[in-house]
Amino acid sequence: MGPLVANEIISPDTNLFLAFLIGIGFGFVLESNGFSSSRRLAGMFYGYDTTVLKVFFTAAITGMLGLLFMSLFGWIDLSLIYINPTYLWSAIGGGVIMGVGFILGGYCPGTSFCAASIGKLDALAFIGGIFLGVLLFTEAYPLWENFFNAKYLGSPLLSSVLGLSRGVMTLLIILVALGMFWVGEWAEKRFARDDYKLNQK
Amino acid sequence: MKGRLILAAVVIPLGIIIAAVPENTTKPYKLTAEELLSEVKEGTQFMTPDAVAQLMVEKDPSLQLIDVRSSHEFEKFSLPGAINIPLENLLSAEYEDILNQDVKVNVFYSNSSNVANQAWMITRQLGYQNNYVLEGGLNYWAETIMNPQKPAATSPNEEMARYNFRQGASAALGGASVEQAAAPESKAAAVPAVKAQKKKKSVQGGC
Repeated sequence: MGPLVANEIISPDTNLFLAFLIGIGFGFVLESNGFSSSRRLAGMFYGYDTTVLKVFFTAAITGMLGLLFMSLFGWIDLSLIYINPTYLWSAIGGGVIMGVGFILGGYCPGTSFCAASIGKLDALAFIGGIFLGVLLFTEAYPLWENFFNAKYLGSPLLSSVLGLSRGVMTLLIILVALGMFWVGEWAEKRFARDDYKLNQK
Repeated sequence: MKGRLILAAVVIPLGIIIAAVPENTTKPYKLTAEELLSEVKEGTQFMTPDAVAQLMVEKDPSLQLIDVRSSHEFEKFSLPGAINIPLENLLSAEYEDILNQDVKVNVFYSNSSNVANQAWMITRQLGYQNNYVLEGGLNYWAETIMNPQKPAATSPNEEMARYNFRQGASAALGGASVEQAAAPESKAAAVPAVKAQKKKKSVQGGC
């Protein structure tokens, strides 16, 4: 009965070890799909490569279906799953900063380490930026403490806000995601670049 | 293009299935039948009336008496400081914070031990700690604390001490007044310590 750590079926140390193995697998898949190319990530913004959208929404759909089916079979207790609490202004502010960094740097935090591991210097610069940001945030924390903690909403779920069951919400998100994939592939053709061939397999 | 069709062919049917089936809201039991049986055999869930009276006289803030009888019976008579959670409402969400916690010693009581024991068994199987049962219930409570019987003059000292303590508790808690019997200082009855609870929160993560 999951979650394995919360129910003390495996120890936190074993959990870390499993996370390490999964992390290696995650990095391997990212790298082998070209996610260590900053052009692939920036392409999301310009529309010539929407792989990022497709990968992350496919992951979300897989995760949603997996959790709901495992809950249905009694393999996992969904009430013990950690749900990131919502601080509305932090989420919006953080989203804007992350998005700008994404376009400017061409990496997200995960893929920057992926790219650094194959020796890309711009990824190293990006990681330097991450640490600079962490330092700035923590050292000047009193300045944005109020903003950081403002508009705390608990852990609302889209399904409960809209008054739908989790299953119906999942079906809706699947349909929306497939629609977005279709728009994404249309955009890839519309905004295709002659010098960019990564997504033309 | 083809990949998207395959993806759609897999995830849309799965999505329809998950949208159609009801949500699984059953709460799993955390203890196996064997684990529960061994706890029942040892009787670790019981607190003697003396131990409970001790906490009540000392006005120990960690004691929480929980009356699991009906609210009608609760209004007629209840122990001082007790709250009423009728057995049939035991699993309602408003009481979860009271029953599943690690700062208080909850003591269930009913007229005998039976209903209180049922409440304890359910909460224990849900993995809740720090819940106990008043041994013998209110009937035994009335017998021992409210109207203690004076032991024979030849009784051992401990017996006398217990009688004295019960008398004092009875007076403090509003029972019948009884005459004093000479005996040495009473020893404190064994009181269980509050067990800290492991916070069941999973690890945070992110991209």
